[in-house]
Amino acid sequence: MRHEVYITPNEVKVDGKALNHKENGAALLTELYRAHIGDYPKFFKMDTLCKLGFVASELLLQAEGAPRFEPREDRAVVFFNRNASLQADTAYQATIQDPENFFPSPAAFVYTLPNIVTGEIAIRNKYFGETSFIVLEDFDEKTMMRELQNAFQDPMTKSILGGWLDCTDENHFEAKLSII
Amino acid sequence: MDDLIYTLKQQIIEALNLEDMKPEDIDENAALFGEGLGLDSIDALELIVLMEKNYGIKLKDPNQGKEIFKSVSVMADYISKNRTK
Repeated sequence: MRHEVYITPNEVKVDGKALNHKENGAALLTELYRAHIGDYPKFFKMDTLCKLGFVASELLLQAEGAPRFEPREDRAVVFFNRNASLQADTAYQATIQDPENFFPSPAAFVYTLPNIVTGEIAIRNKYFGETSFIVLEDFDEKTMMRELQNAFQDPMTKSILGGWLDCTDENHFEAKLSII
Repeated sequence: MDDLIYTLKQQIIEALNLEDMKPEDIDENAALFGEGLGLDSIDALELIVLMEKNYGIKLKDPNQGKEIFKSVSVMADYISKNRTK
């Protein structure tokens, strides 16, 4: 069975089944973390793109039900989006915008690359396979499928945790992930 | 000093996103790194920024942080002796 997770600021579906929730936006991600995960305090330090990818991957892997946290090289993590790390970039820019109040934030800076989230997921799950984050002009299923098929050219890769993971700000994001 | 320790705890919670923590939850004598609050290297950099932003203290040598960031009370003591704002 192919497992899928879909998350927007006001909707959560796992394998097509809606998950109950009270909160919306970034608060929804925290609610999902507390209700379904809850053992990874680093979550609170992540930017919204990372929180989204982390929560979506956790729900997906829980749905898969396979043994977790055992080192493996056969699973790749491949994500796509349109806005790269825009929210983190904006947050970091805010810390250096004013010459009179110039205090670059290291915590904001570390998330100013979209592929940080692929690393977070790989570290959490002890995945030692390929990880990549591809920025597209728009949601393009054809291109995404082609890139995912390309990832399987690596003889080590037997499965991919991947899909669309986009975030503009705390109230605008979309995750559509599956295990292929 | 007690006021500074309390304010410092509030600033640390905010700067390091220590969700669900209140100043009362932090033991001012407990280690900030390792066993204590379990902070990491990025947190150490944020503490350096916190000291400069709020108290005008610039650490010339990042290795100084090892001593200064031992605990909230050690940090508060250093701030009270070196603050420029």
